[in-house]
Amino acid sequence: MKKHIQYLMLAVALLLPQMASAQDETIVFTPQWTAQAQFAGYYVAEAKGFYRKAGVNVRIEHPTSTQPAMSRLRKNVCQATTLQLCQALEIIDAGTPLVNILQTSMNNAMVIVSARNRNPLKHKGARVGIWSVGFGQLAICMSQKEHLDYEWIRFAQNINLFVAGALDAMLAMSYNEYYQLVQAGVVMTEDNVYRFCDHGYNVQEDGLYMLRDFYEEHPALAKKFAQASRQGWEWAARHPKETLDIVMQYVEKNRIPTNRVIQELMLKDVLRMQVDRESKRREFRLRPDMVRKACKLMRENHMLKREVTYNELISEK
Amino acid sequence: MDGIISYIRRKLSVRVSLWVVMFAALIFITALGFLFYQSREAIRQEAINRATQILDKTSLRVEGIMNRVEVASKMTEWLVQRHPDKADSMFVYSRAMLLNNPDFYNCSIAFEPDFFKDRGRYFSAYSRRDTPKNNKMGETIRTSLGGSDSFQYFYMDWYLMAKLFKHACWTEPYVDVDMSTNTGEMVSSYCYPIMDNEGKVICVINTSLSLNWLSQTISAVKPYPNSYSIMIGRGGTYFVHPDSTKITRETIFTKTLLEPDTALTALGHAMQRGEEGMKQMTIDGQDCYVFYKPLADTGWSMGIVCPESDIFGGFDRVRHAVMGIVVVGLLLMLYIFIKVITRELSPLRRLADEAETIASGNFETQLPDIQRTDEIGQLSQSFAGMQKSLVKYIDELKNTTAQKTSIERDLHIASAIQRGMLPKNFPTKDDRDDVQIYASLTPAKDVGGDLFDFYIRDEKLFFCIGDVSGKGIPASLVMAVTRSIFRTVSAREAMPDRIVSNMNEIIADANDTNMFVTLFVGVLDLPTGRMRYCNAGHDAPLLAGAGLGSLTCDANIPIGVMQDWKYSLQETQIFTGTTIFLFTDGLTEAENANHDLFRMERVKEVASQALAHQQHEPKQLIDMMTNAVHQFVDKAEQSDDLTMMAIQYTKLERDVRFSKRIVLPNDIQEVSKLTAFVDEVCEVVGFSPAVTMQMNLALEEAVVNVMNYAYPEGTHGDVTIEAKTNDVRLKFTIIDSGTPFDPTAMEDVDIHQDAEDRPIGGLGIHLVREIMDSVNYERVDNLNVLTLRKKLRKNN
Repeated sequence: MKKHIQYLMLAVALLLPQMASAQDETIVFTPQWTAQAQFAGYYVAEAKGFYRKAGVNVRIEHPTSTQPAMSRLRKNVCQATTLQLCQALEIIDAGTPLVNILQTSMNNAMVIVSARNRNPLKHKGARVGIWSVGFGQLAICMSQKEHLDYEWIRFAQNINLFVAGALDAMLAMSYNEYYQLVQAGVVMTEDNVYRFCDHGYNVQEDGLYMLRDFYEEHPALAKKFAQASRQGWEWAARHPKETLDIVMQYVEKNRIPTNRVIQELMLKDVLRMQVDRESKRREFRLRPDMVRKACKLMRENHMLKREVTYNELISEK
Repeated sequence: MDGIISYIRRKLSVRVSLWVVMFAALIFITALGFLFYQSREAIRQEAINRATQILDKTSLRVEGIMNRVEVASKMTEWLVQRHPDKADSMFVYSRAMLLNNPDFYNCSIAFEPDFFKDRGRYFSAYSRRDTPKNNKMGETIRTSLGGSDSFQYFYMDWYLMAKLFKHACWTEPYVDVDMSTNTGEMVSSYCYPIMDNEGKVICVINTSLSLNWLSQTISAVKPYPNSYSIMIGRGGTYFVHPDSTKITRETIFTKTLLEPDTALTALGHAMQRGEEGMKQMTIDGQDCYVFYKPLADTGWSMGIVCPESDIFGGFDRVRHAVMGIVVVGLLLMLYIFIKVITRELSPLRRLADEAETIASGNFETQLPDIQRTDEIGQLSQSFAGMQKSLVKYIDELKNTTAQKTSIERDLHIASAIQRGMLPKNFPTKDDRDDVQIYASLTPAKDVGGDLFDFYIRDEKLFFCIGDVSGKGIPASLVMAVTRSIFRTVSAREAMPDRIVSNMNEIIADANDTNMFVTLFVGVLDLPTGRMRYCNAGHDAPLLAGAGLGSLTCDANIPIGVMQDWKYSLQETQIFTGTTIFLFTDGLTEAENANHDLFRMERVKEVASQALAHQQHEPKQLIDMMTNAVHQFVDKAEQSDDLTMMAIQYTKLERDVRFSKRIVLPNDIQEVSKLTAFVDEVCEVVGFSPAVTMQMNLALEEAVVNVMNYAYPEGTHGDVTIEAKTNDVRLKFTIIDSGTPFDPTAMEDVDIHQDAEDRPIGGLGIHLVREIMDSVNYERVDNLNVLTLRKKLRKNN
């Protein structure tokens, strides 16, 4: 019995701090994609100890094919994730309140790359690849507006369909698929690449989100987490080379089939997207005008049932 | 460097050897270059053949295995299409696929979403080969239902490709990670779409094949020690590469993203397009040949990278060895050539030394005895012959030089003699008050054919100027003869036409050489200034006095041409102060360097200037003319003899102090009146009785002569005797109208002859000449005019 009590006490002693931190100070952060430079700031914050110094215990766990980021958030497997603004609007509209605790992207990175050097705007009825998990809202809005009648082909990931010639065009992120396509020997010209940000669709993308319930329970923790994450991004902008080293450590650990060159290009582009076009600064804030623009576009295309306001997104109302 | 060049220039043996070796090197380089090029091409071709064979073999093998998957899929299509509504059968088919084909990795028969209404959104009959841990039974086949919200198979590449293409195809290889063992296996799926009657895709049969065997097969391809093989997919991704970190992570283009590499990009695109071929490029700083070929119909491409050093390694070693042998051989050849040529040419060196000795004047030097029959032997013999000829020639030269010196000396003497023939003393103002003369003769050679002469006889100036045809010694001889004849003939003839005619006869008579002489002969009567002349083809003289003009001359031919030519006589009055300027054609035809002639115009121009400046005294005029000619001719060689002679008549009329005349009939008896007349005159001028007696004697002789000869016997006529005197002389003029008779033309009698032997009359004129200072005969206006002059001296 005494022995049992001893075991019990030991177990309590071991579990108590963990439980306490899990409840109070630990945040599991799941970025919305596999390990890559898109999330460099968070890796830096973890690797350089910015989270620890801020007094917040952060664990970065990447999504798996069976557990995507949003599903993990809903199930409280993780407490924070990254989402594009349009995605966040859709999720809130569908009834899951979210809080944007840190906006990293200030610009839109989506492009359409067309095969055989054709201008995507002049290719009506083209088969265009779109991610099965979302992100393509603005492209759908654009195709409607321009009456392009694209045949959207949803695909899980990578560029193989496009490279094999099964698609006429595909959506791509300028920091990710775009470079993968270049790396696959696709020749980019002025004609065959359409950049949404240059055609009135400059809507912010990646931001750091939490469920509003969790946020309201742990506002201080969320703030610390957001603050340290921002610090990570700022450090990454100042030290791109060291940042790349850190990114590659995460890439290796997660056995992601990519390479340093691609990650270097991705980091450069992600950091570029973080600079506001007007202020020329890294602002780390959600722009109300962009929220309004995204809402308007999505509502026009019946992607939202109601208007989701800027105030619904931000942490302090 | 300069030292080496000058050494090579000095050494024939080195130079010849260098030429030979250089030529040999050229041939070697050309031949070896061709050989090396051909060999290299052959080796290259061999490498291409070798690589092509390997690629073909590998491709065939891949095709064989892939074919089996394709056939099996085709078989299953039939089954699925036969029972498309029986979902559970699909599990059997997918399992059977693995059962029947032990090397297949997995198989799924996946249907469109919501295809089986009762089976929900997802239906995929999935079978997989499984080797559970601790299972001693070996591998089993696990069959399950695939597809869920977290695995939406219809968004996967394999499904979409088949669906979109509507034909079967192979996916890009991918790594299938086994979560349980955390190991990955590279696989590729053959996806086969099955369509319903309307052609709509209802399901896709996905059969996967592990590509480990393919990796191993391709990796094992190693035709050269350092060569390696690669395989890339449609997107250029490496699926086989010796650097395992690149596999699935990098593409063939990755390196070109940061540093453009057109060769690598071109290779990537060619491989992507499914082309077969070979490219030469630099990979990682090493020159390589890349051979590539597509693998069956997969869209993948295989490449073999062969470093050039591997392909051509053996060839390069042989090449270096051959080049080394050639270089050493050429150097050896150069050394031997220099030695041999130096030895062969050594007699030449000795010959050269001896030649130097000969050149220094030692003609008797003994030449080396070279007993050879080649060119050097011939040269030695020729040299000996040349030495002999040289000695002989030098002797001849000595003789010739001596002869030439002798001739030159003779020529100098001849020249001196010729100059000696010409008058050297020219009468000046100081010598005579009636005439001044100056002349110059410049022969073109040592001796010339021009001549001039003058002398005064009986108060008459006899002068001539002439030009013998031709130049040099022949002309000079004719000139000497002509001048002698002039002197001889003019001694007894006072008329120029007769002098010239006589000279013509004499010269033409013995003219075998057909030489001729242009000649101007003049006789100037000094007391009166009357000049008689005859021009035989010579340039007309100029007269410079009150004005400038040419003397009018008849057209007569030169002397020596026609023996019986009748030469005409001309006459003119020369006024006091007038200068007669005579010259030969050496003046008018003096040539300058441009072959321009001095011409008559220039002669007249110079004479005019002289006249204008009162510089027309003989010496002044000739000096001016000489200067003008020299200036004109400048440095040109003198082409012809140049002779000029100027005669200025300077006689001044003096006041007559006393004049008296007497006319006598041609009767000897009347001569007594003459004595009284003479006495009276002599008294007036103050002659002594002795001189007066001499005067009487001379006058009597002259008058009797006239009476005897001018008037033939029985004819009547008068003889007028005038006496005039001025401050200087007494002049008697005896005038008659009888037949022309010139007593002065009578030959002087030989006073040493006996009186009986002497011809009649001759003695008289001799006496008259002895007494008087001058005796002058003129035929004027059909009158014979004989003038006797006697200077008034104190002792007279």
